[in-house]
Amino acid sequence: MLTASPTTGTLKIALMSCAHTHAGAYASRLEAKADIDLVVADPDGYGDVQGTRLVGSYQEAWNAWPDGPDAIVVTSANAHHKDLVLEAARRGVHVLCEKPLATNIADAEAMVAACREAGVVLMTAFPVHFAPAAEALRAAVADGALGEVIGITGTNNGKLPDTRAWFTDVELAGGGSLVDHTVHIAEILDSIFGEPATVHATVNRILWADRAGEGAETGGLVTLTYSSGLVATIDCSWSQPADAPTWGGLRIQAVGTGGQLQVDAFAEHVGGHGQWLAYGVDSDSALLEAFLGAVRSGATAEPSGDVGLRTVRVVAAAQESVRSGQPVELASI
Amino acid sequence: MPHEDPAAPLRVGIIGTGGISRAHTPGWIETGAELHCHSLEGADAFAETFGATVHATLEELLAAVDVVDVCTPTPVHAEIVHQALDAGKDVVCEKPLALTTEDARSVVEHAQRVGRTLFPAHVVRFFPQYAAAQRAVETGAIGQIAVLRFERTGSFPTQPWFGDESQSGGIVMDQMIHDIDQAIWLAGPVERVYAQQSISSETDTVRTAHAVLTHVGGAISHCRGLWGAPGTQFRYTFDLAGDAGRLQYDSAGDPGVVFDEVATQRQSTGDGFLPDVSGMRSPYAEEILEFAAALTSGGPSRVSAADGAYAVEVSRAALESLRTGRSITC
Repeated sequence: MLTASPTTGTLKIALMSCAHTHAGAYASRLEAKADIDLVVADPDGYGDVQGTRLVGSYQEAWNAWPDGPDAIVVTSANAHHKDLVLEAARRGVHVLCEKPLATNIADAEAMVAACREAGVVLMTAFPVHFAPAAEALRAAVADGALGEVIGITGTNNGKLPDTRAWFTDVELAGGGSLVDHTVHIAEILDSIFGEPATVHATVNRILWADRAGEGAETGGLVTLTYSSGLVATIDCSWSQPADAPTWGGLRIQAVGTGGQLQVDAFAEHVGGHGQWLAYGVDSDSALLEAFLGAVRSGATAEPSGDVGLRTVRVVAAAQESVRSGQPVELASI
Repeated sequence: MPHEDPAAPLRVGIIGTGGISRAHTPGWIETGAELHCHSLEGADAFAETFGATVHATLEELLAAVDVVDVCTPTPVHAEIVHQALDAGKDVVCEKPLALTTEDARSVVEHAQRVGRTLFPAHVVRFFPQYAAAQRAVETGAIGQIAVLRFERTGSFPTQPWFGDESQSGGIVMDQMIHDIDQAIWLAGPVERVYAQQSISSETDTVRTAHAVLTHVGGAISHCRGLWGAPGTQFRYTFDLAGDAGRLQYDSAGDPGVVFDEVATQRQSTGDGFLPDVSGMRSPYAEEILEFAAALTSGGPSRVSAADGAYAVEVSRAALESLRTGRSITC
């Protein structure tokens, strides 16, 4: 069943689905590496991930090599993550799964358990984990530069992806912006402060109302409390105007007895009227390198499937809070 | 209600001559008002600075003026406003109008009953950045407003009564009420409020509060207040997202006047409690001039007594949320 991955030499990787907008970024970076043999499955026929070996079905991707892939990258619609990850575990194949790990806790738990039992690496694709801004925040808290941290404000605002209708399909996405954008900051906070004690959320459907319909929320504010007393609020809204020169951004402000720190993970750019020329550390590459290193060593790395599961729990608690109108104890979820 | 004799200078009684009175008074002077004052302490120094007539008692002051400007600590606002209304005076009252919803409503009803004007001094409505944003939102510049964020950052107030929740209402009632009022001004009445506060376990002067408002019209707002570590500079920001655009402002990113690091060390940096308004037309003066014009000639004002009471009501709901850990329906 589990075949040891080559610690050197070429790794065979299948990128499963082009449904997520990150698929193209991962594919081009993997394709550029000499020690990666990449096959991309595009069963939905999006057709916009190019310059690589494309196949039209998952089956063809699984069968692209005589003994199958060493690892897969899952970039399907959120609701389809589970089947792909369970299949990978069954085949003894390592997995990098796009965030959110799953659309509900049960699926995420099953995925984590299956990969653990199979002894394969499961990582969740949180590129911002590798941004220098996130590292600066972790370091400032760890070395005490901010003193006792009492408050966090995080904003992860973006445009609504206009080439992928499933982002507002509650069945496929699991929800709207609350599902799409809460988890990035939740993961960074998890890596510093652990799990929150309570979660409160309020949402609306005013932005992109024609696509949101009665289903996916497009605006959201999620407030987390921690047993330490720390309070954190995440604005997960798709509030970046459609004509803005960049997709959106991610900022975190931390306040403590030692002062304040504000980090902007996507600040580095050359600007101009309607221009946004990003530069700086490529977090997508850093994520892929971490995953490839984990595949070669067989030891998982952060951001793990476990943190993927923990952030799914935060989202599930936020959704329960939206339903009840009250804060929710994470332990009750 | 218009002042009886528009030709005569308005006689204004400043009650309480602490910090905020010194922000209000230049505006009254600009209107040409005749200044009177009464205070438990500091009245003589105030009178010397601004050229006011000191009155030993509140009754004596009320007998000598047309309008009072209540600048006392919050707990006695309502009592003094009632007394001034009973004496037939129009009233300007520093925010919050009162500590409790009941007291705030009571002074509003009292003013209506006796036909006098009561203006709560919600000065942030007079800051040019907020005023510009409100006009733009009102005229549809960003479409339907959806997600609002406000931050207000300062140092712990120097007067110790601010730290006493029972006296000041704490950071929510004293500082965040500005942004709660902005959220209401921009996105309308509030259906429910969820709030959390975090106070440093090392020093209770460092504290932050978060309030999330769900508006009746569907918009959602986040207000974040901070009394930061000693030396924290005053800063205020807002971010208003609508379905047809976005408005953002950050006082720390305002590029009008920028000193470099060397020069900054040579500048006085203020007390960190009240904002530095030296780079703009004083919003405090703007506020007092608008109130004075409304009182003397019946002009419009952008803030009403009812607005002041409603800001207290929503802030009280936030305090109730802090106390119970629950989301509170307004």
